[in-house]
Amino acid sequence: MSRITLESKPSDGVRELLRHLLDKGKVSAVLAPRRLDDEGSLDLGFITDRSELDSIDPFAPVMIANTAQVLSMITPSSSKIAVVLKPCELRGFVERVKREQGTLDNILTISCTCGGVFPLQKAVDGITGGMTANYYSDLSSEKIHAEIRETCKACEHFIPINSDVTVSLVGEKDLDENCQIYLNSKSASELLEGLGGEIDKKEYDPAISAGLMKKRLAEKERLFNSVFPGKGGIDAVIEIFGKCVGCHGCSRVCPICYCVSCDFESMNFDSDIAYYEKELSQKGALRLPPDTMLFHIGRMIHMSFSCVGCGLCSDVCPADIPVASVFKRTGDKTASIFDYIPGRDLEEAIPVMVFKEEEFSRFVDE
Amino acid sequence: MNDTERSAARMRSPEGIRGSLHDFLKIAVDKGAVDSVLAPVKVPAENSYAWILMNDPAVIESASPVAPVMPVQGAKALKSLTRKGKGESRILAVMRPCEIRAGIELMKLNQVHFDNIVLVSYDCPGAVPFQDYVKDPGFSEESFGKMIASGRPGEENIKPACGICTEFSIVDSDIHFGYFGVDEGSAFVIPVSEQGAELLDAIGLDRDAKIADWESEISSIRDKRTKKRTETLSAAGERIKGLDGLINAFRKCIGCHNCMSVCPICYCRQCYFDSEVSKKDPDFIFEIAEKRGAMAFPRDKVMFHAGRMTHMSLSCVSCGFCTDACPTGIPVAEIFSYMADITQPTFEYIAGKNNGEPLPLRKFEKKELPLVHEIVKSAEGEEGSDE
Amino acid sequence: MDKKYVPRITSFLCKWCSYTGADLAGTSRLQYPTAIIPIKVMCSSRVDPVFILRAFLKGSDGVLLGGCHPGDCHYETGNYHTRRRFAIVKTVFESLGLEAERIRLSWISASEGPKFARVANEFTETIIAMGENPVKKKIFL
Repeated sequence: MSRITLESKPSDGVRELLRHLLDKGKVSAVLAPRRLDDEGSLDLGFITDRSELDSIDPFAPVMIANTAQVLSMITPSSSKIAVVLKPCELRGFVERVKREQGTLDNILTISCTCGGVFPLQKAVDGITGGMTANYYSDLSSEKIHAEIRETCKACEHFIPINSDVTVSLVGEKDLDENCQIYLNSKSASELLEGLGGEIDKKEYDPAISAGLMKKRLAEKERLFNSVFPGKGGIDAVIEIFGKCVGCHGCSRVCPICYCVSCDFESMNFDSDIAYYEKELSQKGALRLPPDTMLFHIGRMIHMSFSCVGCGLCSDVCPADIPVASVFKRTGDKTASIFDYIPGRDLEEAIPVMVFKEEEFSRFVDE
Repeated sequence: MNDTERSAARMRSPEGIRGSLHDFLKIAVDKGAVDSVLAPVKVPAENSYAWILMNDPAVIESASPVAPVMPVQGAKALKSLTRKGKGESRILAVMRPCEIRAGIELMKLNQVHFDNIVLVSYDCPGAVPFQDYVKDPGFSEESFGKMIASGRPGEENIKPACGICTEFSIVDSDIHFGYFGVDEGSAFVIPVSEQGAELLDAIGLDRDAKIADWESEISSIRDKRTKKRTETLSAAGERIKGLDGLINAFRKCIGCHNCMSVCPICYCRQCYFDSEVSKKDPDFIFEIAEKRGAMAFPRDKVMFHAGRMTHMSLSCVSCGFCTDACPTGIPVAEIFSYMADITQPTFEYIAGKNNGEPLPLRKFEKKELPLVHEIVKSAEGEEGSDE
Repeated sequence: MDKKYVPRITSFLCKWCSYTGADLAGTSRLQYPTAIIPIKVMCSSRVDPVFILRAFLKGSDGVLLGGCHPGDCHYETGNYHTRRRFAIVKTVFESLGLEAERIRLSWISASEGPKFARVANEFTETIIAMGENPVKKKIFL
């Protein structure tokens, strides 16, 4: 467990690190966010040729696709791959690995202390515009940037868990010529031997970003108290999800929802017209297509305890529903009854896959 | 449409077409001509509309048959209701022309059953882009209200697909409400099918109005729209020309497939492009990346969009839902409409017509598609075939 | 609400224990309310938590899930999984402010006819005190 200090911008430092890995043949490929043009188009580049590394923007404050989903497509790999990803994407992938949707073997994970990302819509409208101006200075001064997503503002897991390499951004002064790279695993130390820079024995100290943590936790409390109207109840649920158009984009981009065919899109929920006619005779009116609330509450039941709060569901929602905030709010509760933190530990089983003989007596009449 | 001059009933309401249609729903249910109504109703948070099947008079009273916005394609509502077959009760469904046309395509695909359903269409002024509506419902309601009151199709604050729509008026519904260019507060109630005529008789609407003026108004608007459509779509065609054009058009795609899931024509439960079949072995993906130096994720953007064009553009009704649902603002509908306007004429097919014509891919003739013959011939010539 | 209000309580009962317990209650001539609508399942863990939600959203006034006592599951561990899943449903209900008291999990063995009758009576009383499920009247579900 050691630290490398480079005298460069962190993004340059990481590019240098990736070049080192490719040049020395220590990895065969790199997966990282890549800029396509000046208009703000990005994608994830899966790169084997070092000359392609120039377009990489490792800490682009935008999430264009969930790297966790992409990792499922490229693992298990017989070649060593270095991946640059956000802490929540890494946690999302750990959850996927637990569901046998990929593996961390042969993967070197490089993450950063994350200042959050811009909403997708704002980002595609022009990430190179004025929006990023304060972003990096806010990182240094441990402020919550005003334009980042609601979910990011309330995220307390901005320090990567389980990453091989952590680049420290939050709370670091002078991000113009100071790149702090923490090596958290033995394989990271081996692979990065000979990178240069100043090396010392030091682990990441959460005190560096404690100021932001405090603000994030406060913001989280504020968000969770305000996102859900009143005392809740079915009317509140309808108020939030009433404008859902049923595209199910939220479940398709979700790193946890890995099912090829979702239960809620299956024939299980098809009904004869006679069924609707009967329901109509009882209620006088019903919504079509049906089961909008069933879909959202049902999805919460199926996956919320593993929700890593990556926020992509809110990003892709055409109706601007704060899906991520509502799901994370519930997910915090469902995970906490199992003392579970999604993505914390690969060895920690998914709560529904294990049990203890004596537990949860408050939920059962025994 | 037959050649003899149509006759129609006339309805008036101080609230214009919205009032007339609303009155019509109430009368149809009151007089027992239908058992229930399928129409948009504002959701409780007042920030969108939902399709509601209703027979409760209080709910019918709250319906907004002409909603400013289209959150869910009406054909999808019809599909969830009748996918498994026809029902016993008679249902009146009020929808925009593109929703009815999509419904007709779904009927041909055996996903919708129209028995016992009376379709009511109306001169459609266009719909407010959904994402705009969601951001500011108040403003959108106001601008749409003005648009409706003008008695003309809208030009501003409507979806791009609506601005170039040529099928904004009478379609193969049962009853059509025509009001473009008709004196204020008045609308023609035009029976389109026999079923529609019977319903008008059943509720006692006399058909004594002549609609020639309205018809010529519609055709003059249609001429203008056709011109605009051709211009807009050929410009779009230029932009997507060639592989680079396609790659560029879809470069912002994040692979969420919202466009596909809101598309009324894409009815497959399990899309080929989301299936296991389209997944590749990780090492194979690595090989591709290695050959090219790099590859992009989300991958297969062009494959998905161009592939979807081949799967559904023959039935595309240009309803514009795909653009509405795209989180990165790709003009999907424009590109797909451009393609539809090429693929459909190739088969002399017009999507959304209920004239007994089957889907183009459900039939063939031994001699057809001269263009394809020519292409094959010239290819054979190049290879120096002996035949 | 009229005085003869009989709620509907959708009850998923494990074939080996709770359903047999309900049978025993019947053959022992123990009274339990007609509100209980039993659905026989092979194991309480056969019940996808979404079944509970669906029954609730389709207007059941209560949903009862009955399984074998811990250690007695015919499939050895099914009911332990049920307990965890039920804890999730209950937590989701609580977090959304839905009336979580309308859903209930009980361990009832094949020999516990009286317990089945007691649970059925108790739960029905709770539901009657709560009144009709407000979801029944919602049209925007």
